[in-house]
Amino acid sequence: MPIYLYLDRRTFIHRLHPAVKILTIVGIFWSVYWVDNPISLLPIAVLLLAGAQLTRAWPNFYSLRWLFILVIFATTLTWIVFYRQGKPLVHLGPLFVSRASLEYGFGRGIKLAELLATSVLFLSTTKVEEFAFGLAEMGVPYRVGFAITLAFRLVPLFIDSALTVVQAQRLRGYDFDSGSLMTRVRRYVPVTVPVFMGALRKANNMAMALEARGFGYSARPTSYVHYEMRTVDVMMLLGVIVLAVAYFLIYYSGYGAIAPR
Amino acid sequence: MKTALENHQRAEAGGAEAAPAVALEEVSFTYRSADRPALAGVRFSQRAGEMVGVMGAAGTGKSSLARCLNAIIPGFEHGRFEGLVRIHGRAVNGSRVCEMAPAVGMVFQDFEAQLFSTNVAHEVAFAMEQVGLAPHEIRARLGPALAAVGLAGFEDRDPTSLSGGEKQRLAIASVLAVQPSVIVLDEPTTDLDPEGRAEVFELIRKLRDRGLSLLIIEHETEEMRECDRIVVIRDGRIVAEGPPERILSDTRLLNESGIRPPGLNLVLDALGIEGYAANVDEAEALLRRALRVPARFEPEPDFAPLSPAQPQPAATQDTPLVEIDNLTHVYGGTVRALDSVSLRIDPGEFVAIIGQNGSGKTTLAKQIVGLLQPTAGRVMLAGRDRSTLGAAEAAAMVGYVFQNPDHQIFAGTVAQEVAFGPRNFGLPPDEIERRCDRVLKAVGLDAMRDKDPFLLGRGERQRLAVASVLVLQPRLLILDEPTTGLDYPQQRRIMDLIGELNRAGTAIVIITHTPWLVAEYARRAVLMRKGQKLFDGAVRDLFRHEELLATAAFRLPEVTALSRHFGMVALNAHELAQALRGAL
Repeated sequence: MPIYLYLDRRTFIHRLHPAVKILTIVGIFWSVYWVDNPISLLPIAVLLLAGAQLTRAWPNFYSLRWLFILVIFATTLTWIVFYRQGKPLVHLGPLFVSRASLEYGFGRGIKLAELLATSVLFLSTTKVEEFAFGLAEMGVPYRVGFAITLAFRLVPLFIDSALTVVQAQRLRGYDFDSGSLMTRVRRYVPVTVPVFMGALRKANNMAMALEARGFGYSARPTSYVHYEMRTVDVMMLLGVIVLAVAYFLIYYSGYGAIAPR
Repeated sequence: MKTALENHQRAEAGGAEAAPAVALEEVSFTYRSADRPALAGVRFSQRAGEMVGVMGAAGTGKSSLARCLNAIIPGFEHGRFEGLVRIHGRAVNGSRVCEMAPAVGMVFQDFEAQLFSTNVAHEVAFAMEQVGLAPHEIRARLGPALAAVGLAGFEDRDPTSLSGGEKQRLAIASVLAVQPSVIVLDEPTTDLDPEGRAEVFELIRKLRDRGLSLLIIEHETEEMRECDRIVVIRDGRIVAEGPPERILSDTRLLNESGIRPPGLNLVLDALGIEGYAANVDEAEALLRRALRVPARFEPEPDFAPLSPAQPQPAATQDTPLVEIDNLTHVYGGTVRALDSVSLRIDPGEFVAIIGQNGSGKTTLAKQIVGLLQPTAGRVMLAGRDRSTLGAAEAAAMVGYVFQNPDHQIFAGTVAQEVAFGPRNFGLPPDEIERRCDRVLKAVGLDAMRDKDPFLLGRGERQRLAVASVLVLQPRLLILDEPTTGLDYPQQRRIMDLIGELNRAGTAIVIITHTPWLVAEYARRAVLMRKGQKLFDGAVRDLFRHEELLATAAFRLPEVTALSRHFGMVALNAHELAQALRGAL
């Protein structure tokens, strides 16, 4: 089960200070938030594509290609239907398509894809431990950062155990696939109970093992992972600030919006 | 912040020769939800550098004893605690668990639950970070810790990609890096295959040579012979302690305490020979001296040497229950888990499938039961193609008991759990009732039918899992590692149950790593390696092929290995003693 996207490469983006990487994500999310039309989202898409090329993260984008396609198409189509403004190009009964709704829908699709791509780039270049280190450097309590690390460890374990439970119950004649949505949800009790009980047991074992390894000994443990702020980090940070300010100005001057015609 | 560590080191430096590494003084503990004590007035002491083995049946207090050493009891597990625990003379009482990490390292059975990081180096660094070692010190200790467990060069590997043995060695490395003087290993090899077990025990020997004090909890007696001392626990009390040669040759004590006596000693006992054998060669020497047998013993006629021809399973007139024809299974387009395997299982057989982890055993079993679809080849059940059978038809043909019973238990009562399968298949209520009654009696859970399954012990839950598959009355029952995590009496009980089912007509396939189970229960063995069938035939014939077994990392049961020194293949101590008695 490939849950870690991390690609062990030594590009300059990999070697950025984790806190800078976290702030970069925040900066990109912020920039994307303020604008709606596809043209103004284009520069970010170009930056992200350049990022993928620089970090050689294409394998991850390739294995997630269907997710990207789904996100773009589903979002575009949904918003075309709900955004009913501007002069209609097509108006057949409930179907309403205008130039504005096309732009808005496509813009939304691109927006979500960009958020996704930013996250994929981050996870491709940052180990979970580095993420935790970055959070700690930004003043987030150690335990919060560690909880995130642990979640990454646990998800594959639980998926694994859920798959086994489904197999075991299927062999006992259990039919997961029929009935309405509600009956199906209720039908999952024979799966959720063993998975949940197993998770509780695992969590207890894990807590015990953690304390036995000294977890809790110090509120601010030392870190084997270590990053110093370097010139390249400062420059990256400045770049992100410029980007964030620029996008806010685009919004403020009205260029990022969909022109209602 | 550093005080605990400093205190510990000062105490160690000050009273090293005087104070024992571990001392328990009249320690009693009752878990909060329990009505009887897990430990009752335990007095125990361990010299620095000593290797002590703790043995006993499940639930008798072995883990509880171990957990007192690093304050998990009473710091993590709450309850009523009395007495005093000292590590190198310093009282543990009142310490938090994390404060004990620099003094006492602990390795647990569940290796999935004690690895927290995304690569090996971070894993080893984890405990050192927690106790506040400086980053340069962490880096300096990383290499030696990994080298000590044979994982040098694994720094960037993802721990989840390691084998079981490697995971457990990694857990040991991360404990070693903090440099505790006492290491507790709580059933470190229970979930491992024979190769992983061998790796871990080899490492344990090295740790002993480095002068660490080791406390090991373990069920398998063979591995415990290397301890300096063995402590036997029953009902929360130490009932015996002494050197292995005294404890492990006391068959009565072992039986009473739920510990499997070593097969070699059973042979000596049965022949009335005094003495203790620490390995097969010593046992042979003792036997030859006592029996005055010639160097080449003339075997009994029924222990005829193997004919060079490939052994064939007995062909019967009946339609085979399972017929597998050139079956290939490929995972994810690349991993060839099964490579043109053919196999026939007849009604009433008892087959053991053996082989290393990753050899294709479980894939083969899941193919039979229909959890996987063949990449090539086909699986026939009672003459019909597996893929054409409906779920109910298939379930009446073959049942599958997963290794971990907790993967299927969910119902509110034992009886409901058993009735779940028949209900899914829409059997009439009176039929369900009838079957449940019969099955619950068969597995010995009749008296517990209204109990909550989650309150049962591990052995009982395993039997419940068997019952809830058995109730569908399959003609073939497949069990994946049915004895993992069980103590000796529980193992015997579940295997005797399976044996009875087999005598009553159900064909059995067990997947197992445990040599003596294969010898004593199965009649036919299928040896798998790298997706191919290496051997298929009578168990006794398999045991003649030592080279073959060695390539699959399967060790002969010691009694069988001993019998090979006398030119025969005995499957249990009784058989060997019988054969040798003639020479008395």
